Amino acid sequence: MDASGPFAGVRVLDLCDEKGALAGKLLAGLGADVVLVEPPAGSAMRSIPPFWKGAPHAERSIFFWFYAAGKRSIMLDRGTAAGAARLRRVALDADVVVTTDAPAGDDLRAVNPRLVVASITPFGRSGPYRDWKASDTVAQAMGGMLYVNGHADGSPLRSLGLQAYHQAGILAAVGIASALIARDVTGRGQDVDVSLQAAVAGALEHVPGFWHQARLVHRRQGTLHWTRYFRVGRCRDGWVMHCTLGDWTSLIEWMKADGMGADLDDSALEDIKTRQAAAERIFDALDAWAARYTVAELTEGAQLRRIPYAAVRPPEALLRDPHLAARGFFVPIEHPDLGLTVPYPGAPFRLTDAPWRVARPPRLGEHDGEL
Amino acid sequence: MRPLDGTRVLDFTWVVAGPVTTRILADLGADVIKVERRGSIDFGDRRGGLSGTLMRGKRSIVLNLDDPRALDIARRLAAISDVVVDNFSARVMTNLGLDYEALRKVKPDVICVRMSGFGLTGPDRDHVSYGPTLQALSGYTLLMAEPDGPPAGFGYSYSDLAGGNLGSLAVLAALWHRRRTGRGQLVDLSQLEAVASLVGPTLLARALDGATSIPTGNASQEAPGAPHGVYRCAGDDRWIAITIFTDEDWERFATAAGRPAWTHDARFATVAGRIRHAAELDRLVADWTRPRDAAETMRILQDAGVAAGVVADAEDLCARDPQLAARGHFVDVPTSEGRTVRIDGPPYVLSDTPAAVGAPGPLLGEHTDEVLSSLLGVSAEEIRMLRADGVVA
Repeated sequence: MDASGPFAGVRVLDLCDEKGALAGKLLAGLGADVVLVEPPAGSAMRSIPPFWKGAPHAERSIFFWFYAAGKRSIMLDRGTAAGAARLRRVALDADVVVTTDAPAGDDLRAVNPRLVVASITPFGRSGPYRDWKASDTVAQAMGGMLYVNGHADGSPLRSLGLQAYHQAGILAAVGIASALIARDVTGRGQDVDVSLQAAVAGALEHVPGFWHQARLVHRRQGTLHWTRYFRVGRCRDGWVMHCTLGDWTSLIEWMKADGMGADLDDSALEDIKTRQAAAERIFDALDAWAARYTVAELTEGAQLRRIPYAAVRPPEALLRDPHLAARGFFVPIEHPDLGLTVPYPGAPFRLTDAPWRVARPPRLGEHDGEL
Repeated sequence: MRPLDGTRVLDFTWVVAGPVTTRILADLGADVIKVERRGSIDFGDRRGGLSGTLMRGKRSIVLNLDDPRALDIARRLAAISDVVVDNFSARVMTNLGLDYEALRKVKPDVICVRMSGFGLTGPDRDHVSYGPTLQALSGYTLLMAEPDGPPAGFGYSYSDLAGGNLGSLAVLAALWHRRRTGRGQLVDLSQLEAVASLVGPTLLARALDGATSIPTGNASQEAPGAPHGVYRCAGDDRWIAITIFTDEDWERFATAAGRPAWTHDARFATVAGRIRHAAELDRLVADWTRPRDAAETMRILQDAGVAAGVVADAEDLCARDPQLAARGHFVDVPTSEGRTVRIDGPPYVLSDTPAAVGAPGPLLGEHTDEVLSSLLGVSAEEIRMLRADGVVA
């Protein structure tokens, strides 16, 4: 086991605001030395709520904590000659620059030809919209994610979490890792150009494919999944995700044992294509049956029968999930200045020979003396 | 050159999440050999569209893994592969004798990526899941809703795309690790943990405040600001997303909108005021957008420096968006039958060693003969017999 992580020894200068912050967080988790370069007033992320204890404070933004965990921080004013010179010096020893300020990356590219320079911009660095602006929600809208989420008679809905920024961060990390591998062969760094819009478009499932192959425009249809094999239903004490894939025969036998499901006891429905076509009728019958159970009774009974049911839970249920606890998904991290220990979400995947690294976020300029 | 030239991936994945991981590796130049069964599910045309986008650049071989001769072929291919990846539930590869402990005996530095719903350990490791059930468990379904509204959630399996993209990062990290240490390893990717890792700061906030999360519709989850939402435009189901954070954003919006009387309302003059009166502001903005064309309004607002965009449907995205077109996001790929199919390309650009779509989706078993003969030295006569016995197809 290599305790230092796969990217140990790789130095990353992180000049990102919230749009690109996940890239550095992922690379830090994989062992890279990620140095957040902050202006004297601190990263803009430090002013984004929520705040520990409520009041705005540069060291108490929970938003900043999430995205800066595991990074180091240096403070410099890129607007001054001294600050710009210091950044260039630091870039001489760096392997990677990741930035949401693309021109700053171009300047550093000139300093060190081995640098991998990744930029995350709303629409990418070429094309007619290259200077347009986006928020996470605008990028989700223009990338095609938003239109298919929501109820048929309601507004399109953005995701939980900043998923346009997250996809861009993942793709930037993918591009950076690829560019480092290529550098071993070529000896040269290169540019990685990530567009929020394209990152969203690249994280769609059915939307572009069915346009390409059938000129089909999929719309939003509430909780009915586009495949028509999943829909949310109501139990006695909460919501549940129904699923008509899995062991259909066991599901029908279970319903029949409860004296229900007579209208689903039809051999034609053993074929999944028939179930797809009859989705509304099936889910209405499943809803009538599910109403007699609690969510826990129904999901446990379903999993015993190899039927992929799940509770529809708030995100904080993850914090109390015994399975995640057994796997140690949340990692308690001490914030010594605040006398606080906070459970941070851990690894998105586990390299068993090189563990994920979780560490607390840095204080503003905490590592100025080290670089 | 491409970054993963010379890297071979033996790909047992199916449905969506695993194929997303291996398509990124194929874009980067890896030789991805997709092991399929006869009657594998697909979404129509295997060359292009959704299936082609999932399988772009891969080779397809068909093995009947119920036959020991097919398992032997799979093991021999694993012995000459850098990466072996599957997304079965945890026990399937073990039952086939293709788990990490078995594979490292034939290839000591193999990277074995297991993408299961819940991971290889823990009390729920054998639970069955799909993207929508994982989204339900991790809060997306309940919290993607109007305030006080019933759950809506994603209309598709976002978690498969997110977990798939993260899976490709895991493979690249493991390849980098192997270059430095000479060691392969087992990668345990739980799709639940992959999506849980992307919920964001909300999870930290709930750990600290113990509160119950409530849905907030399309309100900002980044810097506070209003108006921030999605507003109906003229036409059938046409909408525009508009984001205003700062007073400068608000000024630019008011100017671009022609300064209607309500933009002068003192209650809307500050960030705090706009947030306090967000519901009323949303109604006023919606009244303003309602008779307008979404695309034209987007252009007017963007020209004024306001973050705004049409809520793109499939046609907007694939046939009308000049930005994705200019960046070559969708590519036309020739097939050996003389057709041209459209496929989504890699969603990022590497300047020096670009990722690219090397081939359309493969037909089922299209490369069985070529893989068996060129990589394993199986003779044409042997292949014919294996085919006749239903071992390969």
